[in-house]
Amino acid sequence: MSKTILIGSPNSGKSLLFNRLTGLNQKVANFPGITVNINSGKSLAQPSNEFLDFPGAYSLQTISGEEKIAVDAFYQALQDPEISSVVCVVDATRLEKGLIFALQVINACAEYQKPLIIAANMGDVLEQHNLSMDIAGLEQALGIPVVQISAKSGTGLDQLQDLAINHRQLPSPYTSDIIASDESVNHRQAQQLAEEYGPKGDLLINSQTRLDQFFLHSWFGGLSFLVIMYLLFQSIFTWAAPVMDGVESSLQFMAEIILPLLPEGVISDFTADALFGGIGAFLVFVPQIFVLTLVVGMLEDSGYLARAAVICHKPLRLFGLTGKSFIPMLSSVACAIPGIYAARTVDSPRKRWLTYLAIPLMPCSARLPVYSLLIAAFIPASNMFGGLIGWQGLAMFGIYVFGILCGLLVTALVSKTNKAMQSDLPFVLEMPPYRLPSWRPLLRNAWSRSKHFVTKAGKVIFLVTVVIWVLGYFPNQGASLGESWLGQMGQWIEPLFSPFGLDWKYGVAILTSFLAREVFVGTLGTLFGIEGGEENIISLAEHIQNSGLPIGAGFALLVFFSIALQCVSTLAVLRRETGSWRLPTQLFISYSLFAYAAAWLTFVIVQAIAG
Amino acid sequence: MTLWDLKQGTSAKVDSFVSTLESSYRTRLSELGFHPGELISCVLSPSLGAPKLYRVNNSVYSLDDSVARLIKVGSDEQAA
Ligand SMILES: Nc1nc2c(ncn2[C@@H]2O[C@H](COP(=O)(O)OP(=O)(O)OP(=O)(O)O)[C@@H](O)[C@H]2O)c(=O)[nH]1
Ligand SMILES: [Mg+2]
Repeated sequence: MSKTILIGSPNSGKSLLFNRLTGLNQKVANFPGITVNINSGKSLAQPSNEFLDFPGAYSLQTISGEEKIAVDAFYQALQDPEISSVVCVVDATRLEKGLIFALQVINACAEYQKPLIIAANMGDVLEQHNLSMDIAGLEQALGIPVVQISAKSGTGLDQLQDLAINHRQLPSPYTSDIIASDESVNHRQAQQLAEEYGPKGDLLINSQTRLDQFFLHSWFGGLSFLVIMYLLFQSIFTWAAPVMDGVESSLQFMAEIILPLLPEGVISDFTADALFGGIGAFLVFVPQIFVLTLVVGMLEDSGYLARAAVICHKPLRLFGLTGKSFIPMLSSVACAIPGIYAARTVDSPRKRWLTYLAIPLMPCSARLPVYSLLIAAFIPASNMFGGLIGWQGLAMFGIYVFGILCGLLVTALVSKTNKAMQSDLPFVLEMPPYRLPSWRPLLRNAWSRSKHFVTKAGKVIFLVTVVIWVLGYFPNQGASLGESWLGQMGQWIEPLFSPFGLDWKYGVAILTSFLAREVFVGTLGTLFGIEGGEENIISLAEHIQNSGLPIGAGFALLVFFSIALQCVSTLAVLRRETGSWRLPTQLFISYSLFAYAAAWLTFVIVQAIAG
Repeated sequence: MTLWDLKQGTSAKVDSFVSTLESSYRTRLSELGFHPGELISCVLSPSLGAPKLYRVNNSVYSLDDSVARLIKVGSDEQAA
């Protein structure tokens, strides 16, 4: 087995290239510093060759802790006899920056005797703007093969693979006649090479600047930021709604066909309550996860995220964070796990730690089913301004803003009172180019994420649902939920949740949702299924409406779910990233107490207002 | 004069770094292109103290005041 390393400066397209070569699905986004772990995969074309996708680095002389890990791993790999070649990916539209790093890699490969190939990526962008670079000239100047590729369209990849496997000539250190101080010689050389062989003119950078002048404008910038964020939330509702309705009616349709075929009794009850009631209630929300991932992915690909980080920098600084915290926080809107990984792009250790505090409070997509359910039950589906703004979308926006505000409140409080790790890295962020999102990888990513959601959460939900159903159905065959085993246990926990107007069924659903939030919907669906008997297959939201749950309790539930840290995976990943159980334990306990107190307060206030 | 004082649409050459800047960060800024002798232009300077955009060769970076104030530039500004 031979192995090839893919290395290069951040955002040069290594991961997209890696995905192309291996058929895998690593995260790709138009923002520097996305890849944080080394990933490996077999080549599709040459299964005996393996590729390793490295995190991007600006330099082999490192300053931030994360980069150091990647660079150390690179040096270690250079000494590994299994590594047969190195591919250094440079962004041809920003050749100079890529070459500064590539020159360092040339020297390292010369020292450790590894063959090296330079891949000048983004060939499609050059072509599109009628630009070109002098590949042969650069090749000659550097004394190593240079291949023009496009990881997006796939051109040049065959040639690259061929060289990665067959090119065995070792590079020698690059020398030029530039004499300068040690620090800047590398830089001067790169500049000279880029000037001589790179694409001419500053067409690309000028058009980028024109867009920046709009998106970062003092007024239009802030305004467009708000509009984009608002559209993001509105899209979750309006785009996904027809699909969700479709899923719901096809489930009902299936239930109506299948249930009459089953013999009366336990089996038919189980199918109706646990399968259609419990798991079906959760499946309805998968389209929303899909849309959310898609829209966040579009933002990530467009290059807008880096601008949003710049816009948010000043306001976030008030809360002890930095503009770079915006990206992990936005990723957490899809799921806290990638958000925690993305926090590695926050280079200051103190700010990263503060970002970790905010992440569990970001409204993640596992909360979405719970929010949607409660909003559907309590907020009318009518529109304002001729359908432009829907009440339900507005309510969703409100609860999302609430979660984000809670997160900021916590970081502000902690950063004022806790002075640990005061030394800080300053804010320097490279502005990636603007690009039209490419649809295929985005759709693929949204699809795989939804699938992952269904299979992974689905397993937990299935197990919990079965257990809940058994406990709720026996010993009296579903005749009376209150007298079942579960009902008796429920009496014990009811006092815990009655302060905010919830009966034991909701209590059980909340407790089970500590495994994963979306379990709430499945549990509740099962319980209402048993209680309702088989004659009425109605949606869970209607069940809730019919049960006469006070509106204050609905709001209390919303508040509880937006604060409580009910996610085992978040705790585990936080442990891995921080190296101890300390932070996850502290967060779990304090956010549970905070959630409980806030839910109680909400119930009292809303009930008082609602009379 | 520091980089932060550079007006939108003008450029200047980097002179030196303020001595309080950590040496590791000095190296990094140099590698990004902010090193003595280099011509930097300010392409966008929003109001309200938001981070400004600076162009170095074919890349654009956003710097906030806490770091841009640590980079001294020559006072012979020129229109970019
Ligand atoms: N047009 C075009 N876009 C590309 C090409 N290669 C990569 N991209 C885009 O460039 C951006 C960065 O790609 P990634 O593969 O995430 O870059 P990376 O080098 O892995 O970045 P880090 O992991 O952050 O170091 C993404 O938006 C890609 O879609 C290309 O050949 N053409
Ligand atoms: Mg990557």
